[in-house]
Amino acid sequence: MVTKSEEDQLNRLEAQVDNAGGGAWEYLCLVRKLKVRRPDKVLKHGLAILNDSKKRSALGTEEWTLCEQVAVAAMDCQSLDVAKDCIKVLRKRFPDSKRVGKLEGMLLEAKGLWAEAEKAYSSFLEDNPFDQVIHKRRVALAKAQGNITTAIECLNKYLDTFMADHDAWRELAEIYISLQMYKQAAFCYEELILSQPTNPLHHLAYADVLYTIGGLENLQAAKKYYASTINLTGGKNRRALFGVCLCTSAIGQLSKGRNKEDKDSPELQLLAVAALEKDYKQRAPGKLPLLTSALKSLRVSS
Amino acid sequence: MGSGELRYEIAQNAYIKLVLHALKHKTAAVNGILLGRLSDRGDAVEVLDAVPLFHSHLGLLPNLEISLLLIEEYYGSKGMSIVGYFHANERYDDTELGGIARNIGDHIFRYFPQAAVLLLDNKKLEALSNGKDRSPVMQLYTRDSSKNWKLVSSDGSNRLITKEPTANVVLLDYMTSGKWQNVVDFDDHLDDISKDWLNPDLFK
Repeated sequence: MVTKSEEDQLNRLEAQVDNAGGGAWEYLCLVRKLKVRRPDKVLKHGLAILNDSKKRSALGTEEWTLCEQVAVAAMDCQSLDVAKDCIKVLRKRFPDSKRVGKLEGMLLEAKGLWAEAEKAYSSFLEDNPFDQVIHKRRVALAKAQGNITTAIECLNKYLDTFMADHDAWRELAEIYISLQMYKQAAFCYEELILSQPTNPLHHLAYADVLYTIGGLENLQAAKKYYASTINLTGGKNRRALFGVCLCTSAIGQLSKGRNKEDKDSPELQLLAVAALEKDYKQRAPGKLPLLTSALKSLRVSS
Repeated sequence: MGSGELRYEIAQNAYIKLVLHALKHKTAAVNGILLGRLSDRGDAVEVLDAVPLFHSHLGLLPNLEISLLLIEEYYGSKGMSIVGYFHANERYDDTELGGIARNIGDHIFRYFPQAAVLLLDNKKLEALSNGKDRSPVMQLYTRDSSKNWKLVSSDGSNRLITKEPTANVVLLDYMTSGKWQNVVDFDDHLDDISKDWLNPDLFK
């Protein structure tokens, strides 16, 4: 996950490199550090460095890291010949490397040779059953073939052993959401909130899932998690502000005719509405009238 | 007249916006809303515009509800209503209309019984560069009498067409120039509200 300032920095560097302003190596390093997926740019600029013998030798041992980075980007862009060449070069330099073996497995995946890739990964895991990367490649392999049930099984088994892998929990949650298995997704976010309680994105996702499941208790819980997101982000997260408005409105509808004690106080919604209107007034004034009338339809009548 | 004989005519800008949105997020499922109205003669649904919605967590309700509220508010004042839904699957060879698409389609159907669901046809999209096909790179689904979303076969009657016959030529041109980078969806707007989900300058 990348912060806004990191993304801005990356985009600035990318624009600079695209316009031949230099900084290609810094850009490629930043992409690696932030673990973002920009395969077409990485392929273009990385290959330019690799094909220039002067620039290439200036990298020293970092040449191999770049080779690996370009190989993966090439596979993402379906430039399989480039990928094959990079991997061949790496294999020559590191003849016994498992890391290169993983790239060779990925190349089989990129070619759609599922059975061969599965065989390669299984034999890796026989030698080293705790290789996290290979475990995750197997999940990716199942997903790519459309075997979502297998992917879920593999991922659950993986998480039994490596329960601190947050990326894996998030991936599992997203797979569950895509299948509309909201209760299971909620469980994943609960795990993430337990292990990273100050990460607002987990609170937000959990609230979204609870709202989607519906029912008075879930809506009330969702509202609490939208509130904690607002707390953790200093009121800057618009999705959470909207979420509060939606929850208040939905809770109001569900608890019509019930005792007054069950009704939520409207303060939180009023604060959220005010925050949203202020934000739109500052940064998207053209949309403010639209926002105001849309939010009016969400106001709970007491 | 039931949806059995209705034609669906999609304006070039709406069509291109949706495909470019899918191309911007090649590794994710994306969706969008179709805006328009029933034709004066009642024999066709005119899709006049489209709003790209999300490229993550398509199955979650809160952001969908907010976006529908704002979209209805805006387009209602322009005499258009929500007439359908567009979906592009995550994987290239996934040609099924999944549960999320069907559920959102059902919701739209309740307000507009002639609603259509369009699913991006990846194979047709790939074959675009052959330059021969004028038909949209999408599959059309309509609700049948048993309340299911049924694929409308594209052989024979062309029930889904682009209003401008050169739409695919223009689309191909935009694809080559990387125009998809400029598409703004609702996800982008929620992250940065200065980004406009109406995409007013996209085709300028």
